[in-house]
Amino acid sequence: MEAEASPFESSELVASFLASTPLLSESWRLCSVANASAPLGFVSERIGDVGYFAFSACNEGAVMVHAGLLNLFLFFRSSRAFQDQMLALINGSKSIVITGHSIGGTTASLCALWILCYLQSVSSTLSVLCITFGSPLLGNASLSRAILRERWGGNFCHVVSKYDIMPRLLFAPLESCTRQLHFLLQYWQMSMSASSPGNFGQSPVLQLGEEEKAQLFSFISHSNLLVSSVAQAEAREEKANSLYWPFGNYVFCSQEGAICVENAASVIEMMHLMFMTGNPSCCIDDHLKYGHYVGKISSQFLSKKSFLQGEVIPESSYEAGVELALQSSGISKQEPAARPAEDCLKKARGMRHMRTPSLNAANLAIRLSKVVPYRAQIEWYMASCDKSDEQLGYYDSFKQRGSSKRDHKVNMNRLLLAGFWNDVLRMLENNELPHDFHKRSKWVNTSHSYKLLVEPLDIAEYYRSGTHRIKGHYLKHGRERRFEIFDRWWGQREVGPEENTSMRSKFAGLTQDSCFWAKVEEATEWLANVRSESDARKLALLWENINNFERYATRLVDCKEVSKDVVAKNSSYSKWVEELRELKSQMQQIHPQFPRFNGELFP
Amino acid sequence: MDSGTLGKKIGISEELIKKSCTLSLSYRFYNELLFHVDNSSSDAVFIVFTGSWMVKEWFSGDQAFGETRIDSKDWSKKAFPSMRSIGNDDVAIVNQAFLKRFELVSKGSEFVEKVTSAVDGKKPIIFTGHSSGGAVAVLATIWFLERQSSEANTGTAKCVTFGAPLVGDYIVSHALKREKWSKHFIHFVKRYDIVPRILLAPRSSIQQELEHVLRYYTANGHHDQLESIAPDFYEKVMRSTSFLASHAAEKLKRNTDYSLLETITNFTKPSPYRPSGTYIFCTGTGKLVHLDNPEAVLQLLFFSCQVSHKNEIIRSCINAHLDYATELERSLEENVVYVDRLEKLPPASDGSALDDLAQNARGRLCLRAAGALEKQKQENQQQIIGKKATMEKEMKVLEEYRTFNAQKVGYYDAFKKQNEERDFAANVSRLELAGIWDEIIEMLKGYCLPDEFEGEDSWIELGTKFRRLVEPLDIANYYRHAKNEDSGAYMIKGRPRRYRYPQRWLEKKKGWESGACGESCFWAEVEELLKLASNDGEVNETRAKELQERIAKWVEQGVAGKDVFLEDSTFLKLWEELGRLKLQQESIHTLMTKFTKLSVS
Repeated sequence: MEAEASPFESSELVASFLASTPLLSESWRLCSVANASAPLGFVSERIGDVGYFAFSACNEGAVMVHAGLLNLFLFFRSSRAFQDQMLALINGSKSIVITGHSIGGTTASLCALWILCYLQSVSSTLSVLCITFGSPLLGNASLSRAILRERWGGNFCHVVSKYDIMPRLLFAPLESCTRQLHFLLQYWQMSMSASSPGNFGQSPVLQLGEEEKAQLFSFISHSNLLVSSVAQAEAREEKANSLYWPFGNYVFCSQEGAICVENAASVIEMMHLMFMTGNPSCCIDDHLKYGHYVGKISSQFLSKKSFLQGEVIPESSYEAGVELALQSSGISKQEPAARPAEDCLKKARGMRHMRTPSLNAANLAIRLSKVVPYRAQIEWYMASCDKSDEQLGYYDSFKQRGSSKRDHKVNMNRLLLAGFWNDVLRMLENNELPHDFHKRSKWVNTSHSYKLLVEPLDIAEYYRSGTHRIKGHYLKHGRERRFEIFDRWWGQREVGPEENTSMRSKFAGLTQDSCFWAKVEEATEWLANVRSESDARKLALLWENINNFERYATRLVDCKEVSKDVVAKNSSYSKWVEELRELKSQMQQIHPQFPRFNGELFP
Repeated sequence: MDSGTLGKKIGISEELIKKSCTLSLSYRFYNELLFHVDNSSSDAVFIVFTGSWMVKEWFSGDQAFGETRIDSKDWSKKAFPSMRSIGNDDVAIVNQAFLKRFELVSKGSEFVEKVTSAVDGKKPIIFTGHSSGGAVAVLATIWFLERQSSEANTGTAKCVTFGAPLVGDYIVSHALKREKWSKHFIHFVKRYDIVPRILLAPRSSIQQELEHVLRYYTANGHHDQLESIAPDFYEKVMRSTSFLASHAAEKLKRNTDYSLLETITNFTKPSPYRPSGTYIFCTGTGKLVHLDNPEAVLQLLFFSCQVSHKNEIIRSCINAHLDYATELERSLEENVVYVDRLEKLPPASDGSALDDLAQNARGRLCLRAAGALEKQKQENQQQIIGKKATMEKEMKVLEEYRTFNAQKVGYYDAFKKQNEERDFAANVSRLELAGIWDEIIEMLKGYCLPDEFEGEDSWIELGTKFRRLVEPLDIANYYRHAKNEDSGAYMIKGRPRRYRYPQRWLEKKKGWESGACGESCFWAEVEELLKLASNDGEVNETRAKELQERIAKWVEQGVAGKDVFLEDSTFLKLWEELGRLKLQQESIHTLMTKFTKLSVS
């Protein structure tokens, strides 16, 4: 199946989809209530099944430096009133919107992250959407990547108006203009608290001079350009060093409509291009105009929008779509920003992938069938080790393997399978696969049996090559991320009531704990150390570890949760058991009283 | 785009359409009557459904959009067996109130009788209705076609509606296409008529306004009141239409899962209803536009209804619903424009009749996307067809493997033992085939193949062959690795969808109940019973009896191999255990002596 780019542009559609829900207008309404309330305030409200929670933009002091924004949220979180209201809202709603304007927006983002982490830990199905209006940037590229990796990007929607300076401020090093910044923040805050709904326009006393405004405007514009060009370069190299970095979806709104952009580098560039067309005074007032924009885009579906008379519409669906998106972003074709903006929208798409997730998943089924024979060969290898006279089991056979063609082949297969699964995870993290991919039983089961079969070989390779002496033990320092992810998938799968709980009739096909051998390796080390350890406290600890492992392993073997290679006569595990028995009997001879005074450690 | 007279293209003459319209409009307010049969024409019998004009007759039940599963009642489950997505095992959703109305119709003694006599009279039947009557006509037509297909009767039926609200969800449209019934449904919709869009809005948002509007239609309401609520009503319906249309369009156009979209739909649910069948839009300028792509129709429902001024709403959007006769009278004389090959539609207006509906480049791009999706589905199918040769080749390998083992260890048991190199080779063939079929299943799951796919005999046959040949090997593999002890019985925890889907296809085609074609997985039941029996567990008598009867039947029909009865087969082990438990069945005993030279105890 050849990769084929979708011939359509949809950044505008997503925005109009969002705008035809009540989410934006309700959020904004609540934000204005919160802004008009006391500083450091928040309000919550339930509409139907949806709970809304809005943070006020107003607070005291310049919080945009150092860890101010984080401290602000931590301050909220520690307050009793906040905890009570949030808990009540979470418990009473099927879904919640966390929202905030200006600095309230960053608090909202942090709050949403906090809730998402919490919900993940309790496997809750509550939906969370964070909608911010003119929020400053919050974190760096690492935060942005972490959010992408957790697939939380879709839970964040930042509304940014065409000229608003606030979301762009943190592109600039602000040390040089703290005084202007101070004025600016105060001006905004006074305007906001003065503009409780229905009481707009009471002009605050503090104002920046025209010249200072102009300086600030060009300073921010310039910094944004700088970051933007760096971002373009970095997008190519896939690394980013700029301090602040956007995450989630950005809805850019203008007089003409709205577009939604997801890719971080494109967000930065669009911010720059839209800002370029503004001027010093509108860039400050635009921060206060979200009510106007939200109203505008929320009712745009009623009007027929089309191209201006006389404009030529490109024949290609894609080109035409880009032109329409450009129109909605409020950049007219005559402006110098038009060309770069078009390129930026195109690039945003280019960085997405080519095929639809369902087709990717379908294609992956084919690729899986191509690598499954590798797995079958490893199964074959495992079975032949079981039959072999050496009685080593496939773990030890592989660990002690020579340079035969067969050993080489098994190792190749192991690497090929790892490559395949890493690829799957990469696609998943890039949103190239269906969102419920990791819940589909086919993939959960296949990844699980891959893990059970092949991870022992990875462990064997780790200890064979002596990597544990450099990096430390496998469990803590050597385990590949993919196995941890597959553990999570398996743990989160839906387990029906008919799940088998009866005893096994024979040894399992594959050891059910894929890290079993890593534990054996550590236990072997403990056993070796016990002989040479003289410090009584350390010795006691070693014995405790050994006994714990012994109990654990015995239970596993008794329940037949291991495959039969574990109990093969010459396997590492059998040897370990043997050695432990010997050690105990030796100690019995040396210290016949040992079991009595230390009974609990020595069963 | 193509134009020509309507009659030829859709198989119903202008005269009959006009007559349907006249009848539909004149019977719409007959509240005491559910339907009317008109025999006055020599060319067709008309069955006209009257409208219902109370909010509770549009929205009932406690769902947000008044929807219900079509199999929610026993009678409807029997009446609409095809209204589902077969492999995915999803059942169609329809409007509960309209379904109820049709229940009243069909339960009356007269209806079935009249339909039967119409069929006997060899005249085509036209089910027709205006507004909600049209919605009932749709259900009646589906009911009729379902009966026809099972009775193999050759009557023709058409459904002609005027300004009908939507009746069912995406699966209805999918199933109509699969059964090749889409062309039987012809929906006339006036461009600005608000009614076909009403069900796209949740009841809670429009209940009050809808009450006024419906009362206004039955001439009991006041114009003054309407004037104050009409703009609100229009705005709410259009907001929901926009919500749904942009959601659908995003899905048409997207090249990625947009996670923001998923999040938003957790907050606001879009309406489940989708257009189905064929639509003919009346442009209001004397032209007719014919579309048979339901996705495109949905987009057009949104893009063609935007009005320029608020004060046009009552005249254009509300009143339009009542007046289909004059518009049709005028337009039927003109040529109809057929919109196909939507993916080639120019984004700028091109002077065709479609301009009247959607001058807007945004709308036209959405129509293009709808066309492109359909084309993509065709291409996906082509790509799978390209793999047929590989499938045949690998299946041949397995057939030879089966023949090789038929007299010795048995197909199933040889594979389960995996003693020989050729067993390993068979495993590789199995995996190759599994990959191809898994891809097909994934595509079906995402509706990435043409709707007709699951109804095509060639695929049903291939799927059945594949299922019978390869599934025993999957079961052997499963029990060989004792996966049942890791996660549970094969049938519950291990059976891949690549076998479930083709089994459902065959059962649907034969009209059998679900589970009737389980011949490919009887080994799983053998293994489970054997496990129970050898663990001294309780073996359910009916379960043992049923298994033996079924095996006997399948071996005799030749859909299961005789190697079942080989001396060392897993089945023989079970047979011995059953002997110990005194659960052996005579029927199978006879069969065993017949097929093997063994004398079995």
